[in-house]
Amino acid sequence: MARPADYPPPFRASAFVAEPTDPVDARIEVGMLVVGAGPAGLACAIRFGQLLEEDPETAATLGDVPLAVAEQGRHPGSRLLSGVIVRPRAIRRLFGDRVRIEDIPGYGPVPAESVYVMTRTRALPIPPPPPMRNHGNFIFSLSRLGRWLGEQAEDAGAMVLPETSARTLLVSDGAVVGVRTGDKGRGPEGEELRNFEPGSDIVAGITVLAEGTQGHLTGVALDHFGLRPDRPQVWELAVKEVWTVPTPLRRIIHTMGWPLRSAAKYREFGGSFIYPMGDDMLTIGMVVGLDYRDSQLSVHDLLQEFKTHPKIRALLQGGERVEWGAKTIPSGGFHSLPKRLHAPGLLLCGDGAGMVNIPTLKGVDYAIESGRLAAESAFASLKGGRPLSSYDDAVGSSFISKDLYEVRDMRQAFGHGFFMGGALASAMTVSKGRVSIAKMASEADDQQPLIHTDRAARYPVPDGALTFDKLSSVFASGNKTRDDQPNHIVLERRVPPDVAEMWVHLCPAQVYEAGPVGDDGLVSVQMAPSNCVQCGAISAKGGRLTPPEGGSGPEYSLT
Amino acid sequence: MSTLVFVEHNGDELCRGPLGVLAKAGELDDDVAAVLVGGIEVKALASEVGTFGAATVHVAEGDVFTQPLAQPRIDVLAHVVREGGYDTVLFSNSVLAADIAGGLAARLDAGLNWDLVDIVRSDGAVVGKRPALSDSLLVDVGWRSTPRLALMRAGSFPAVEKGGQAQVHDVSVELASHSRAATVVDRVVQADSGPSLEGAPAIVTGGMGLGAPEHFSLAEDLAEVLGGVVGATRAVVYAGWRPHSAQIGQTGKTVAPKLYVALGVSGAVQHKVGMQNSETIVAINKDPRAPIFEFCDLAVVADVHTIVPELLELLRRRRS
Repeated sequence: MARPADYPPPFRASAFVAEPTDPVDARIEVGMLVVGAGPAGLACAIRFGQLLEEDPETAATLGDVPLAVAEQGRHPGSRLLSGVIVRPRAIRRLFGDRVRIEDIPGYGPVPAESVYVMTRTRALPIPPPPPMRNHGNFIFSLSRLGRWLGEQAEDAGAMVLPETSARTLLVSDGAVVGVRTGDKGRGPEGEELRNFEPGSDIVAGITVLAEGTQGHLTGVALDHFGLRPDRPQVWELAVKEVWTVPTPLRRIIHTMGWPLRSAAKYREFGGSFIYPMGDDMLTIGMVVGLDYRDSQLSVHDLLQEFKTHPKIRALLQGGERVEWGAKTIPSGGFHSLPKRLHAPGLLLCGDGAGMVNIPTLKGVDYAIESGRLAAESAFASLKGGRPLSSYDDAVGSSFISKDLYEVRDMRQAFGHGFFMGGALASAMTVSKGRVSIAKMASEADDQQPLIHTDRAARYPVPDGALTFDKLSSVFASGNKTRDDQPNHIVLERRVPPDVAEMWVHLCPAQVYEAGPVGDDGLVSVQMAPSNCVQCGAISAKGGRLTPPEGGSGPEYSLT
Repeated sequence: MSTLVFVEHNGDELCRGPLGVLAKAGELDDDVAAVLVGGIEVKALASEVGTFGAATVHVAEGDVFTQPLAQPRIDVLAHVVREGGYDTVLFSNSVLAADIAGGLAARLDAGLNWDLVDIVRSDGAVVGKRPALSDSLLVDVGWRSTPRLALMRAGSFPAVEKGGQAQVHDVSVELASHSRAATVVDRVVQADSGPSLEGAPAIVTGGMGLGAPEHFSLAEDLAEVLGGVVGATRAVVYAGWRPHSAQIGQTGKTVAPKLYVALGVSGAVQHKVGMQNSETIVAINKDPRAPIFEFCDLAVVADVHTIVPELLELLRRRRS
């Protein structure tokens, strides 16, 4: 049985590490550079801005631009997608009494909650397991929250650079000294078009990588500085939709079971979420671990199948889908955190560093907290030369480490199958992490051998009203990427048919197509890279995303 | 209400977009004014602006306005708005107009709503309509103060020739020193090979349903007989069968010919948004479930390889 890992992408991290090359007077010099305008990066910028305001003397030593945020999307928030239920603690720490959480644009506190185990025709309510209890937490759209945080960061003095992809890590004398941004206006073969604009060196005292899941330079830095954990990171893929609905949903819903299969051999670990967004909208999503084995598993189509369940269809009755998106979630937890969260001149934050608590489905508060702590370490370092290891110490004694440690083996437990795994997971939570099965092996997602079970035959034929095909979904993500740019997806193009088939089904955005089987038993993989919504799934399952031209990709607004 | 429309031109000819906005402004206001800015002899275009519905045309003419730069035009507009007391200023979107609208909003400390596809009066208030969420919804937007600035999406309104005569006012403005700081160093035209898709009366588009690049001769022959040009879908362009300049759709060209013939085109929404305004859409596809059959005027469920040669023969016979 083929494994995607046997057909690695022709990608070398070292090709994305370089010395600065622009003449000194052409470089953009900043004090601290944050890569990625998500909750981690923007929290980092906001905290750094607060410190600059409190300490104008130090601020004056950091040049004309003490603080910049490079963002690949059109604006902060346009790449953000999550459920999302947020624990308010990190937001409260970041803003103190400057902002009340009720005043941040969102959808209010969690009103009530239900958990169901689904079968094909029924939904059996169960009491919410301890990690899933959400009393006191708040419902947000992460994209909207990102837009708001972006405004706060600009008010705090950050220069936000939109449509800027961070392509190359600038390293000089063993220390990170900034990033080089990607070129714009290249043709499919890399040729310079009429509107060609070369990238620039952004040189920074400290670079904070807050790129989110499957961050490009985060991956490069982990390799370059030898920071990869012993137990490889693993991911889940979430596909979600936003619907307008005539009947308000007055509770949050999580489900387990159908349409996922519970037998251990399938390794289908995941579930669904349905959250209200005010009185007239809701969001519905499906999350599945990428350590699955079936070459026809498609999270997008599982979400479509899920919506045909009588209980779910009823929630959407008379409604309309208004947005769609997809994103991976790092789910390795404590064991898959990088060996260190810093290197000379560099700090790593949030999802990019794997700070996600899968059993509780939480990560935004860890992202914000890690961004805040990174800003404090960076400021102390720029001001008085304090070592950046202070950031690792701060994260180590924060609720981030404490929470992730508590649930450290829960993800592995589900490898035993749904019921056994559920029991182990419960035991771990109830004992606050004292019950552990830490000796379990854990393989990377692309090491899973593929199986074939005709899974795709069960997916519904899209009707364009309740269920949708992938291409119209890409449209609903706001993606209008220029087609005639270089392919940003690095992939082995000649592979066995089952590997190609896995990629075709894996991708929620219909990027891959498999050609006919050749004499060598292999197929050619055709690609439509401008469909890509940069969810990151391909990087977990045998390919490697690099940043496309700045501004390309989806433009989320409510996800 | 007193409305001013910025009318863009390319030196010898007025642009169609702002003339459409003029027609729209005429629905809101009896007495619409326009601004025309350009190099020497731009005044010659003023009477034409009048025939498209402007009662007054403010003309700023001079060498400083020869280049398509925003700042000098912002100086002119700020002056005209202040002197004339206009409370609403409308633009038809273009690279230049967007620059000017943004700059004018900053200069006048005014509110700017952009990407509007309509503007109406509702209970005494002026309300803009802006598409949201990939054009699936229309959102009402308003202004908290005057002047109200609005950037209308290009092509939202047809121009209407009313045959009126405009009063022409010369505007003389002292340009701010920073408004003279920018100069145009070079202008290049993106070369597009082949006849223009945008202006063609008929377009024959081939999709993956043609099966192979050599079968595009069907589309070429049909286009020739119909006096049109050949377009392509994105999948076809990705496969390398046709150049990117032939691509129609969301990330290619937006077209609205009198006749649009789609051969073996499935009609994904990304394609639809680039051609749905065509006057008559004829789709030939052998898959009866192809989405294009939901929005075409004439649906032909057939194999293009059989029916197009027959159609060609029929058309040629009729021509001769």
